[in-house]
Amino acid sequence: MALIELDHIVKTYDLGLSKVPALRDIHFNIARGEFVAIVGQSGSGKSTLMNILGCLDTPSAGQYRLSGRDVSTLSDDELADVRNLEIGFVFQSFQLLPRASALENVELPLIYRGIGKKDRRERAIDAMRLVGLEDRMKHKPAELSGGQRQRVAIARALVTQPSLLLADEPTGNLDSKTGEEIVGLFLELHSRGNTIILVTHEPKLAARCPRAVRIVDGLVIADGPGRDVAIANAEALGAEALAQFLAAEKAQGARP
Amino acid sequence: MSEAALPALQRPEHDLRPRISWFGKVRRVVNELRDAVVQAAVSLVSHKLRAALTIMGIAIGIMAVIIIFMVEAGMSSGFAKQLSTLGPNTLFVHKWKWGASGNDWWKYKDRPQISTLDLHALQQNTTLPLAIAPMISTNATVSYGSRDVKGVEVRGTVDGYLDATGWVMRRGRFLTALDEELGANVCIIGADIEDAFFKGIDPLGETIRAGPNLRCSIIGIFARKGNSFGQSQDLRIIVPLSAFMRTFGSKRGLVVAVVAPEGKVRETEDEVTAVMRNARHLAPDQEENFSVNRQDKLLESFNGMMMATNVTGILVGIITALVAGIGIMNILLVSVKERTREIGVRRALGARRSTILMQFLCEAVMVAVVGGLFGISLASGLAWLIDTLSPMPATIDPRVVIGGVVGSAVLGVVFGLWPALSAALLQPIEALRYE
Repeated sequence: MALIELDHIVKTYDLGLSKVPALRDIHFNIARGEFVAIVGQSGSGKSTLMNILGCLDTPSAGQYRLSGRDVSTLSDDELADVRNLEIGFVFQSFQLLPRASALENVELPLIYRGIGKKDRRERAIDAMRLVGLEDRMKHKPAELSGGQRQRVAIARALVTQPSLLLADEPTGNLDSKTGEEIVGLFLELHSRGNTIILVTHEPKLAARCPRAVRIVDGLVIADGPGRDVAIANAEALGAEALAQFLAAEKAQGARP
Repeated sequence: MSEAALPALQRPEHDLRPRISWFGKVRRVVNELRDAVVQAAVSLVSHKLRAALTIMGIAIGIMAVIIIFMVEAGMSSGFAKQLSTLGPNTLFVHKWKWGASGNDWWKYKDRPQISTLDLHALQQNTTLPLAIAPMISTNATVSYGSRDVKGVEVRGTVDGYLDATGWVMRRGRFLTALDEELGANVCIIGADIEDAFFKGIDPLGETIRAGPNLRCSIIGIFARKGNSFGQSQDLRIIVPLSAFMRTFGSKRGLVVAVVAPEGKVRETEDEVTAVMRNARHLAPDQEENFSVNRQDKLLESFNGMMMATNVTGILVGIITALVAGIGIMNILLVSVKERTREIGVRRALGARRSTILMQFLCEAVMVAVVGGLFGISLASGLAWLIDTLSPMPATIDPRVVIGGVVGSAVLGVVFGLWPALSAALLQPIEALRYE
């Protein structure tokens, strides 16, 4: 059984006078252990899809099954529990609580699971170690660099041992070098068996994922190995874009 | 990157709907509550000025209410003490009707004063009373040698006084009928007068001067009685009624205390009324031009006054609660607005609606209770000041402290509910998107 089954998902926003379709017919599965990029321009519907995948929003039509269970049958409290137990969120703007220390931020989802203080602390420290920040645990988010903040956010997403790591433009607010490190971290997490969905508008990020799904105007128009999807994407944009993409990929390959 | 072997991060396939035990749920709520308290404290500390203003508002309000009820309690306990010294079986024959409303003032104003003739009539023609004592008093300066004491209560009465009022002699003797008949220049002094003039001297037989020209020799000393309404009752001297009248004049009129036997108060009242009517030569169709008062009448009017204070206190309390509540609501709405994104993040990480509700209610209750505690401390300080600087006794009942804390917590919940609910009902995606 696939971890995620998207069965003809439709999402329409009702703006009173007009109905705006955000997702028109999304239909694909994601198995456990996959690392999938969802690529698309802004306005393509990828954020809407991400909200549905994260159980923050519900589809207008179609069925979303997570671990075989139709999510639309769950109550608000059950959805909160699903988010807590099954999904680890990583946001573009980190979304750390500014007044809590890095470690306290990582502990937060465990509070909602009712895990005792001592156990909570141990697990949070393990997660901080996993992202290489064991020496920054007492720091407030404002005292950390962008890359470090995103690592704290990733630790917070991982601390609950979720079935699914859901990252929305995780490198969007980082410089290219730090972004590269974060992608490296995701690849490593994937190699350890984690299921990861990465939402991005950058084809060159998608190119590094084993699988990419390209969304245009609320429809899946490409689904395959990351590099193929990225190249097809660049081709669609024209010869210049393709050349740019290949040059960037070459530079990246040469860097280490 | 840590190369250490870490445990597998993700769990194998499992049922999506987790089964959380009853104990697990309790533990979760305890965890969340602890977090909510910490968050509320952090929120208050990081917005000190904003919190301080609201807290001061609540504190001043709570203080005002406590002080009003404290003053009221002080007055009524003082009054009750005063009454208990007089005894419930005592009737008071007086020109004025006690407890009458202000409208009747004109009716009583032109009545004749109770005179010594009325007193003699009562003394000679009644059979039931256990004791009869006239009372008339004034404030005067009392001096001994070169020393003065101002504001001493100088009272004229006769031999029945001790039985009528429950005062007790410590040394010497009280007035006799003969003292009254002769208008003897003798007096009995209160404990405060003894302290003021006679350190190390035996007062008995010494002569003091009361007012401009009443010289009298001390024949007795009262046992100490203590304070009533914060005023010492021992700063007094007692002289024969006739001596008092001679010195201070007879215009002011008497109050005659008549002690009825137990269970015969009504009969005694009838007898006293009849004797007085006779002495005043009133025809059967004429209205009485005197009043036979009982203490409960006084108590009634006092209770009426207390009721007014009570209503004031309750009104001030309601207004205070409203003002403080609006303050709490305001600070909370700002806090919810400011932390909308945080609410979204918490919801994404697995906080339930109830978790968010609890978090903001905690903040409201904390603001309110801190304000309440401040108010109670302010009121305690003020009570101490009143107690030391003014004659009125003022203490804070521990029940008031508990009531103040519980009351402010309730206030926090009531006025925090709407902002907290609005936070809890936010859609997670909308909260996350909020700029």
